[in-house]
Amino acid sequence: MYYRVLQIKYFKPRTLEEAIELLTKVRNSRVLAGGTDLLVDLKTGRVSAEALVDVGAIRELRGIEDLGDRIRIGAATKLQELVESDVIARELPLLRKAVESMGSWQIRNLATVGGNLCNASPAADTAPPLLAYEAELIIVGPRGTRVVPVTKFFTSYRRVALEEGEILKEIVVRKSTWSGWSYIKLGRRSGFTLSIVSVAVLASTRGEVLEDVRIALGSVAPTPIRAYKAEEYLRGREVGLGVLERAAEIAKEEVSPIDDVRASAWYRREMVYRLTLDALKTSLRWS
Amino acid sequence: MSEDPRTIIQRWLSAEGYIVVGRSVERADSLDKALGLAKFVEDFFEEGYLLARVAISRVPHARILNIDTEPALRIPGILKVLTYLDVPGENQVGYAIPDQPLLAEGKVRYFGEPLAIVVGRDPDALARAVEEVRPRYEPLPALLDPLEAMERTDVLVHEEFGSNVAFRTRVRKGNVEEGFSKADVVVENTYRTHHQEHLYLEPEAALAIPDLENRVTVLATIQYPHLGQKIIAKVLGLPAGMVKVVAPYIGGGFGGKDDEGPLVAARAALAAYHLRRPVLLFYTREDSIQIHPKREATVIRYKSGATRDGKLMAIDVTIIHDTGAYANRGPFILWRATMHASGPYVVPHAKIDGYCVYTNKVPQGSFRGFGNPSIQFAAEAQMDLLAEELGMDPVEFRLLNMLRPGSTTLTDQVLTSSVGVHEALRKLADYSGWWVKRRQYRVERTGRFRRGIGVAVAWHGNSTSRAVPDWSNAYMQVARDGSVVVYTGIVEMGQGSPSSSHRQIVAEVLGCPLEKVKIVFGTTEAPDAGATHASRGTSVGAIGILVAAGRIRSRLESFLSEYFNVPLEGIQIRDGKVYVRGEPKMSWEELVTLAYSRGVDLSSTGYFFLPKGTFQEDIGRGFAYPAYSFIAVVTEVEVDTYTGRVRVLRVYPALAAGRIINPEAVKTQIEGAVIQGLGYTLMERLIFDHNGRIVNDNLTDYVIPTSLDVPEIEETIFVEDLWEYGPLGAKGVGEMALIPMPASIANAVSHAIGIRVTELPLTPEKVYSLVKHLER
Amino acid sequence: MRVSFRLNGSWVSVDVEPGEILLDTLRLRLGIRSVKRGCERGECGVCTVLLNGEPVVSCLLLTAQVDSMEVTTVEGLGSDPLFKDLAEEFARRFSIQCGYCTPAILLTTYAYIRKVYEGKRKASVEEIVKAIEGNLCRCGTYPRVVRAVVNTLSRLTTAP
Repeated sequence: MYYRVLQIKYFKPRTLEEAIELLTKVRNSRVLAGGTDLLVDLKTGRVSAEALVDVGAIRELRGIEDLGDRIRIGAATKLQELVESDVIARELPLLRKAVESMGSWQIRNLATVGGNLCNASPAADTAPPLLAYEAELIIVGPRGTRVVPVTKFFTSYRRVALEEGEILKEIVVRKSTWSGWSYIKLGRRSGFTLSIVSVAVLASTRGEVLEDVRIALGSVAPTPIRAYKAEEYLRGREVGLGVLERAAEIAKEEVSPIDDVRASAWYRREMVYRLTLDALKTSLRWS
Repeated sequence: MSEDPRTIIQRWLSAEGYIVVGRSVERADSLDKALGLAKFVEDFFEEGYLLARVAISRVPHARILNIDTEPALRIPGILKVLTYLDVPGENQVGYAIPDQPLLAEGKVRYFGEPLAIVVGRDPDALARAVEEVRPRYEPLPALLDPLEAMERTDVLVHEEFGSNVAFRTRVRKGNVEEGFSKADVVVENTYRTHHQEHLYLEPEAALAIPDLENRVTVLATIQYPHLGQKIIAKVLGLPAGMVKVVAPYIGGGFGGKDDEGPLVAARAALAAYHLRRPVLLFYTREDSIQIHPKREATVIRYKSGATRDGKLMAIDVTIIHDTGAYANRGPFILWRATMHASGPYVVPHAKIDGYCVYTNKVPQGSFRGFGNPSIQFAAEAQMDLLAEELGMDPVEFRLLNMLRPGSTTLTDQVLTSSVGVHEALRKLADYSGWWVKRRQYRVERTGRFRRGIGVAVAWHGNSTSRAVPDWSNAYMQVARDGSVVVYTGIVEMGQGSPSSSHRQIVAEVLGCPLEKVKIVFGTTEAPDAGATHASRGTSVGAIGILVAAGRIRSRLESFLSEYFNVPLEGIQIRDGKVYVRGEPKMSWEELVTLAYSRGVDLSSTGYFFLPKGTFQEDIGRGFAYPAYSFIAVVTEVEVDTYTGRVRVLRVYPALAAGRIINPEAVKTQIEGAVIQGLGYTLMERLIFDHNGRIVNDNLTDYVIPTSLDVPEIEETIFVEDLWEYGPLGAKGVGEMALIPMPASIANAVSHAIGIRVTELPLTPEKVYSLVKHLER
Repeated sequence: MRVSFRLNGSWVSVDVEPGEILLDTLRLRLGIRSVKRGCERGECGVCTVLLNGEPVVSCLLLTAQVDSMEVTTVEGLGSDPLFKDLAEEFARRFSIQCGYCTPAILLTTYAYIRKVYEGKRKASVEEIVKAIEGNLCRCGTYPRVVRAVVNTLSRLTTAP
């Protein structure tokens, strides 16, 4: 009962153009996608806004499509749609695995992939897989459309590369073949919860040599990050336990975690090492 | 014909061939709950009622210079801001010690302490107003660590007591020096346990409706309506009879609504008293977590010794409870911990010292197990360590020292009967595969994932401790159509006693059909049957029901014996039928009609005062409890040594709690307590900042088990060790399975990783650092 | 602002604040009391409703957002044979303790069973456990909820 009734204006545009216009013209307005983060932030006062622009009715923001060489995901696509999508299961298994562990069924039916990215929590679970896939974000705004690689999207703690009036329209992932992948999320319980550390790894090998590898990490820095130095170290090397351990060691040096209610910075660093190593081994079917 | 309670209790204890008792009869409230018809406090809110919230202290310790209510009152829609100055009766509401105000007076002593009640029309205005209640403070240093608080006298949480030690307990038995000198092995450790939040899904609320002449009816999330009535009357300066308290369905209590319920009710009543209109006072989730008392955090120093042949000789235990800003029920909790400190074992020499220590934190309070889970955690770890030192199996060592009928307890109480724990543990060890697994897992203790199996046994005294009076009562009336209404003060908060065992007992004793029985629960319109806490909803709460039913039954039997002119032995009333010398004569309904026309009184109360012995408080000796319930739990875990994550795989319970009136209903209590205990042991922990503020005051940051966190919980083994005064021999169940869970899981984890766990919770980080430490 | 949606089979039209939460509208304006207040931030699931047949938390949803959609609570399912069967199975299996989370947990499991049945899929215990992870139950009825769902499903699939 008795939630604070938010003192706020509400708009539900039918088109993207309308939405952009509202965001530009209405003072202190914000995009309302699934609302599962934003409404909590508004209720607790962590975020303030005077108007909400609900993008739930804008058709072009929805849907998952296989476009042959790439996959297009509308930014306002619900997380549960991702979980149930054959395209995602087939083409982006790493993303599917991550989304499956996000929130509960009730939350996944509301929350959107774009909302998760734009909210830019360090623990955002769609971020590590999309960072690993090097997804491209299609952003539209008053000055037209631009493409931002997701790797450049998170600028600092809870900040993203969106200018005033801009909306994240879709997420595009180019298809590429990876020989292995792994996603590990460590939390305080088995049921849905914020992660202590999460790791996403994509790898491709030729014979014993690691041709390419991507390592992305959640909850261990002000934003979700890639462990570029560890990747660089691995690229072109022959797979061996020592090599993988060294890479995990480098990843551990790349993170900048904090102490919070979930775990200490020390433990997070330790887990970056262990889970990165574990995810690399799984991706490479190394035992 | 007998109206004597003892005779009635005795007759039904030894009766044979129960019809409905012992059967898993479906609960009467299930469908109403499923269809959304069951109403909880907030569901009674109607348009036009006022709303109220509590403004809390946002500092841990300060002298109040004044409370400026003007800024809050200036918010449109705010009608009233009430402080201690507005209390017409007494503001003092401490349960065990008169140290706690209903609304802060003079000082604030914890972050979250209720300062004022804000009343208004709309929730938005209230949300702003609670932030605008502005006390002027003189800040005082905050004491957050009980060990430091014990030593300090320069800073006192309660100056009037001259010390931060709120309460002390002692047990002195035999001579511990002599005991340890006879011991061949001695182990000693310090154990630490932490605060647990109840997290009932229904936050606290109370709806107060003023009546004629300032009479007030309060619907509240409360575990003891009669206590609420007493406190409201005291706060408002009214006779208790002017106050009616009703607990409708309650969305979980677990002890938390025993402590906070009467206070929430009194605050709502105070608001309605001043506004002369119905007021619903509610806590948000954050309010609930900041304000209400928690499971105690403890430091326990435990030394124990045994002889080479496996006899426990002596224990020396110091128990320190962080009691927070107010004693609340802390002294009772400490007594329980103190008197259960040995575990269910015979120990000839013991010295126990307990301290309740004030700090500037949220008070400790009642929570399923009431001081016992933490002390059993320590005691059962010690038992494992002694067994290891002696080279004995932990189960074998426990069985050697276990209480049996005729044994003398820690407080020198002789237990003549109802001691089924030895049998329970023996059966459990076989049933769980203990003997094989305990060896096997130790041999396999290599690699990343390691299995462990642990055992813990616990005892829990029924009723209030020592000579503290305890009683049961109920009022019963058989209507002319043969339906039976029972009024009890016992509440329904999930445990199901009014919807299952109470009905079964009435149907069994009266001999009427089960569907004729209606239990009206949770109201001060019923006789005071005591609180619904301490696992007493059935074990004590139903004694009054049994006695009332037994009285009506014997009146009916006497009447029938006279009517048919046959001796009493020739009369039988079973399952809705009357038999005379084995011949069916009439139905239950016909019997009731006839009895009404022949002047048989078919209404009765069932007061029973529990017989108790004497107890010497200074040396902790004598009669501790009228009976004990017992439980043993074997737990299997798998530890991921790589991350420190513990998975509980399987839990095997064995319960010795007297007569099992409804087996499935009892199992739900076991399962629920196992899951709550698992949460406490593995993941739940309140975190305080330097201001004593609870940082994780929401469900994102304070995590509890979900469906995915639940282990296999195997069928419970029941040992029916009847209690002479229990209804049909039943003892308490509700808390039982939670009590050994921390110990059982910790012992299993210790077995898996080969390191003794002495501190909870066993978060991945904690276990990881233990394993890492060993690797170094 | 005026919002219209289908509530338990009938269209309702209600004046709400633009920032009003669906849970408030249901409880305070529309008399739906089975939908409960729990954590106020989407973590506990006691405020679950079905939105176009899918479970969602009503505490993180503006009423304005559900305009022209279909909202279902247990009040609207009393005569649904599958729901009744499931509720009775809950009662038989002692899957209900305090009952505060029960209407919500029934909605989730009802939606799950329909999904499985209509999709002609095979259910598994693991999947059921996962489906209800968003319905916290502090009394700990989870194992019995799962059992009730398994039993209802197996009756449904063996029924003629």
